[in-house]
Amino acid sequence: MGKIENKGGGRPVGYNTSFAEEVFRNVDFGEEIKMCMQCGVCAASCPLSLKMDFSPRKIFTLIRAGKREEVLGSQAIMLCTSCYSCKVRCPRKIPVVDVMHGLANYALRQGFVPRKNTSVFGGEFWRQIYKLGRIDEKDLSRRYFFADGLVPGIKNSLEMMDMGLQMLLHKRMKLLPERPIKGIKALRRMLDKAEQMGKGGARA
Amino acid sequence: MDKKTIVYICTGCGIGDAVNVDQLKEVVDEDFSLPCKDHPFLCGPEGLAMLKQDMESEGVNTFVLAACSGRVNYDVFNLGPEAIVERVNLREQVAWSMPPQDEDTQMLAEDNLRIACAKVKDTKLPEAFKAEEEYAKDILVVGGGLAGLTAALETAKAGYNAVLVEKEATLGGWLARNKKRITMPYKELTDTGIEDLVSAVTGNPKIKVYTSASVEKVEGGPGLFSVAIKADGNAVTERIGAIVQANGWVPYDANKLGHLGYGKFKDVVTNVEFELMAAGGKIARPSDGKEVKNTLFIQCAGSRDPEHLPYCSSVCCMVSLKQATYLKEQDPEAVNYILYKDMRTVGQAEDFYRKAQNDGNIFIRGSVKEVGESGGKLFVEADDELLAERIRIEEIDLVVLAVGMVPATKPLQTPRIKAPQDAPDKDEEGMIEVQPDSGFFATPALRLAYRQGPELPTLKYGFPDSHFICFPYESRRTGIYATGCVRKPMETAKVLDDAVGAAMKAIQCCEATANGIAVHPRAGDMSYPEFNMNRCTQCKRCTEECPFGAINEDEKGNPLPNPTRCRRCGVCMGACPERIISFKNYSVPMIGNMIKAIHVPEEDEEKPRVVALICENDAYPALDMAGIKRMKWSPYVRFIPVRCLGSVNLVWVADALSRGIDGLLLFGCRHGDDYQCHFIKGSELANTRLGKVSETLDRLALESDRVKFVEVGISDYHKIPQIIDEFMETIESVGPNPYKGW
Ligand code: SF4
Ligand code: SF4
Ligand code: SF4
Ligand code: SF4
Repeated sequence: MGKIENKGGGRPVGYNTSFAEEVFRNVDFGEEIKMCMQCGVCAASCPLSLKMDFSPRKIFTLIRAGKREEVLGSQAIMLCTSCYSCKVRCPRKIPVVDVMHGLANYALRQGFVPRKNTSVFGGEFWRQIYKLGRIDEKDLSRRYFFADGLVPGIKNSLEMMDMGLQMLLHKRMKLLPERPIKGIKALRRMLDKAEQMGKGGARA
Repeated sequence: MDKKTIVYICTGCGIGDAVNVDQLKEVVDEDFSLPCKDHPFLCGPEGLAMLKQDMESEGVNTFVLAACSGRVNYDVFNLGPEAIVERVNLREQVAWSMPPQDEDTQMLAEDNLRIACAKVKDTKLPEAFKAEEEYAKDILVVGGGLAGLTAALETAKAGYNAVLVEKEATLGGWLARNKKRITMPYKELTDTGIEDLVSAVTGNPKIKVYTSASVEKVEGGPGLFSVAIKADGNAVTERIGAIVQANGWVPYDANKLGHLGYGKFKDVVTNVEFELMAAGGKIARPSDGKEVKNTLFIQCAGSRDPEHLPYCSSVCCMVSLKQATYLKEQDPEAVNYILYKDMRTVGQAEDFYRKAQNDGNIFIRGSVKEVGESGGKLFVEADDELLAERIRIEEIDLVVLAVGMVPATKPLQTPRIKAPQDAPDKDEEGMIEVQPDSGFFATPALRLAYRQGPELPTLKYGFPDSHFICFPYESRRTGIYATGCVRKPMETAKVLDDAVGAAMKAIQCCEATANGIAVHPRAGDMSYPEFNMNRCTQCKRCTEECPFGAINEDEKGNPLPNPTRCRRCGVCMGACPERIISFKNYSVPMIGNMIKAIHVPEEDEEKPRVVALICENDAYPALDMAGIKRMKWSPYVRFIPVRCLGSVNLVWVADALSRGIDGLLLFGCRHGDDYQCHFIKGSELANTRLGKVSETLDRLALESDRVKFVEVGISDYHKIPQIIDEFMETIESVGPNPYKGW
């Protein structure tokens, strides 16, 4: 038996299914989490689980218990890097990645901002793809580094300077601004459609 | 019969290169005056033709075959029921495990030959036991539930008659009271199908059914059982060949589960009560008959709890999934919580777990802390192990306790019997609690007129003993096979297989008995113990120690063997202090002479000698395996196979040590709770008896280190060389036996 913490000051927490129902209705693939048997294979597979406040397995348990604030405010749902380890390995074939992204998206729509920098990055990424059809590395990093103001921006930039120089050297980053791709209009129509379907990515 | 013996030495498989065959022939000639031949490929067509030729033209009827281990090629060297065949192991235990052309290797081979020649000298051809009465082959099935019905029907299908005894007025058992059943392919609930099975049984001319009936007395033994049955008040007697005990299970007594609210709140019910309610039509709250919206199932209610039922019943998880499905079928909006320790849906039943999850049942892993009532509804508090928090679920209409299965044979209270005189823990009235593994620890089902108790001896939780590792149907009473949930908790699909298996074992037993041969594990053995009653002191050791209850007692206290109950283990032979129990081909003097045939070198030759009495069932093949793997061990050990370590008579220890043998090793199976002994109690008894061997050693003024008991499993072959070598070191350190040369 695991150690039972006494969070509610001795009062047991109520167990309710309303949040689970909300997730089933509003989150892509949300209903699939019914099938989770809490084996923990996803948690063991996830390269980021050490950085996460809750592993994917724990997120699913919290949803079932009705812990809305904890789940929608969790760092974990924003940290998923789409490595797909969990989705490939889950014995119950739950698309864990999709659920994590669905939750992140839903959390942002509900006004939760669990990891501001992640959502800034996500927003910038989307904006550049929308504008150019590709990423302008220097522009993206400039906006990401300076999101919190001038001083942290300079600090961030200095820290990453070596990598920037290496990228320049290996032609991974150009000094001149990037130009839009061919067919950018068609791409934008696709992205608009995705936006309409509520799949605009994890961005604030 | 007049014995005409020839010794044959095979020189194939490396034997001819490892030992000097001419010298071996000399030993046979000088020590036993027996003719001896060699052949390069004894198991080949020419070799076998030679044996047959000698049998036909020269009337040879006793063959000593010095070749490979007796555990291999036994079919090839089966020379028919009229021939005595003794195998000498020169391959696995000599040529393959000892240095070739070595003095010690040669001495070992010579001794192995001497041992075998001494044995055949005393061996007589076994004759099958034949009872005076005619053998019955009808099968008695006790219990008319799924297991019993299936066993009876399968018996009939195989062409044998069955007699079915059911205590209730109707057949069908628990399953007849179920609404639905989960079975293959575990996707949906299915009908129980029990009516069809019942009518197949009642309509079968080969099956005689007694309902409202009980077995009042079972006398005799396999093939010769006389069974008194009381049915609807009438007494009848049936002659029976073998018995299938399928009297099922009872639910764990929920009155002991007050901490889960049972007995305190009307809306806390057991899974059995719930099933009856569901089968009756509507599931409602017992307290007020109102509808059930929220239900909470408590898994492992009393199960896997040392205070209650320490084991897992393996079916209650599935039962709760089934019952949750009833609730969803009755009301799709119903909410079911399943509070579990682990969900155990073995094998394909996992599919039904998936279905229940998909249906939206809520699974919570944790343990109950409180079941209470507030505002006319129940609440449950539990430690949720996955959340790591105490949780509270409210507004519950019904709590279902998933209680486990108890074998129907388990007595409600431990029975007491009159204590033997020297029992230490008897009470004031001289009574003592019986042990589960005695035949007295059980609710009556068979009422055997056996000296060793009226029921099957059980394991510690009250299930009839079965050799669960290798031979699950075997009980400790020959010809009686337990099946279904009385044997171990199992789901219906498993019950079907189990019942077929038990019925087939019962039939096999009838046929073997009628042919006068042993059943498992010495299947086919024709020998049986004979008692030289003139010298019996009525000490009762044989009756008490026979693991199979084969020996009764007459009014005067004389042992009364029942050969058809006998498994030919020889435990009685090992027990008898007067040494008056013998088999035609296995006896106390015979093994004594085998030990005496070993050539013991003088002390100054510095060649110690150790005798290893080794169990034929597992230890001997393990030793062969070590040989097959070309492992090496000391050449000073002489192995003598025994039927079971339980057949070892302590006089052999004295025989060996008084002749200058330096040490004695006993290799037997593991004993204890998870025993591997093929005769259940044999190796344990040997171990206990050996505790008393110190007296013998003291009398001879010898060190107790000279005798050692080792338990080995069939897979422990790699440990055997080390065990032997360590023992040889011990022998070296205690020094040579002072009785050498006497
Ligand atoms: S691997 Fe799948 S079933 Fe296992 S905990 Fe993760 S999501 Fe649940
Ligand atoms: S089957 Fe399930 S409920 Fe029953 S004892 Fe085993 S784990 Fe517990
Ligand atoms: S102890 Fe073994 S050999 Fe002796 S009567 Fe019992 S079963 Fe037969
Ligand atoms: S052990 Fe031997 S002496 Fe004792 S009762 Fe049995 S047969 Fe007789």
